[in-house]
Amino acid sequence: MSDFDQELDASGLNCPLPILRAKKAIAGMDAGQTLRIIATDPGSVKDFEAFCKQTGNELVSSGEEGGKFTFLIKKAA
Amino acid sequence: MSSRLPGPQRRDSIVQAASGLFAERGYHGVSIDDIAREVDVSPAILYRHFSSKKELYDTVLMALACQRESYVDAVINSGTSFEDVLAGMTRIYINSIAENPDLLRIELQSLLDGNSATREFFENRWKSFADYIEFSLNEMLPYDQENREVTILSASLMFQGILREALVQKFLQPHDRLEDVDLEELSVELVRLFLRGLGINKSRLSRKAVIKE
Repeated sequence: MSDFDQELDASGLNCPLPILRAKKAIAGMDAGQTLRIIATDPGSVKDFEAFCKQTGNELVSSGEEGGKFTFLIKKAA
Repeated sequence: MSSRLPGPQRRDSIVQAASGLFAERGYHGVSIDDIAREVDVSPAILYRHFSSKKELYDTVLMALACQRESYVDAVINSGTSFEDVLAGMTRIYINSIAENPDLLRIELQSLLDGNSATREFFENRWKSFADYIEFSLNEMLPYDQENREVTILSASLMFQGILREALVQKFLQPHDRLEDVDLEELSVELVRLFLRGLGINKSRLSRKAVIKE
């Protein structure tokens, strides 16, 4: 079980909602804090990779659990 | 007969030819013979690569699915206002059809084809807009507004209708009425009119939403 400060369930939502909600959630977090995201949209894997690459936030992990995709993103300084 | 192509190249040429034919005539309007003729091979060779017309059609859809648009750019580069993200998404979607109008043709064909898997495939593409609009309006509209749910659903349908019709006119009509209209202009104007219809007046979307890459 990984540690995270906030969790966002974006199940059932298609791009761009998971990204948008993650962006808003991260904006309200402190640097170094971790956000856990759950999504069902298969496109979210590539989307979150691109999102982290473009915003400089760290994609700590990306995986699949029970048919859902989970991501752990650490907010950059 | 065309000269021998290596397996993977032959397969690609079949998928490409099939894509064009399905776009033109729909699933039921195309036979394996038609496709074989288009690629200049015997049906036997075609069957070596694909066991059925259905399998070939599914492969065409998968190839289109791989070009699935990502709206990450719209969210990151356009700010997070409803208007700006929607305009960004619209621009990306219009460009995806500009690059491959067959996508739109196959979508329209599939509406009447009777194939539920195909319909779902295209519904899923529109779901991005539907989800985004419905989710955003749900947050923006007052909770005590009359007929709230119908309004939100109608808005979502309206947007899809506006956008799809504009794309049909721009890319599928023999005479391009919108010939002199720039795609960027078109996407901004569609969103602006849509928003005005919802009572959201923005005379000027933020510059970020309309900047070309």
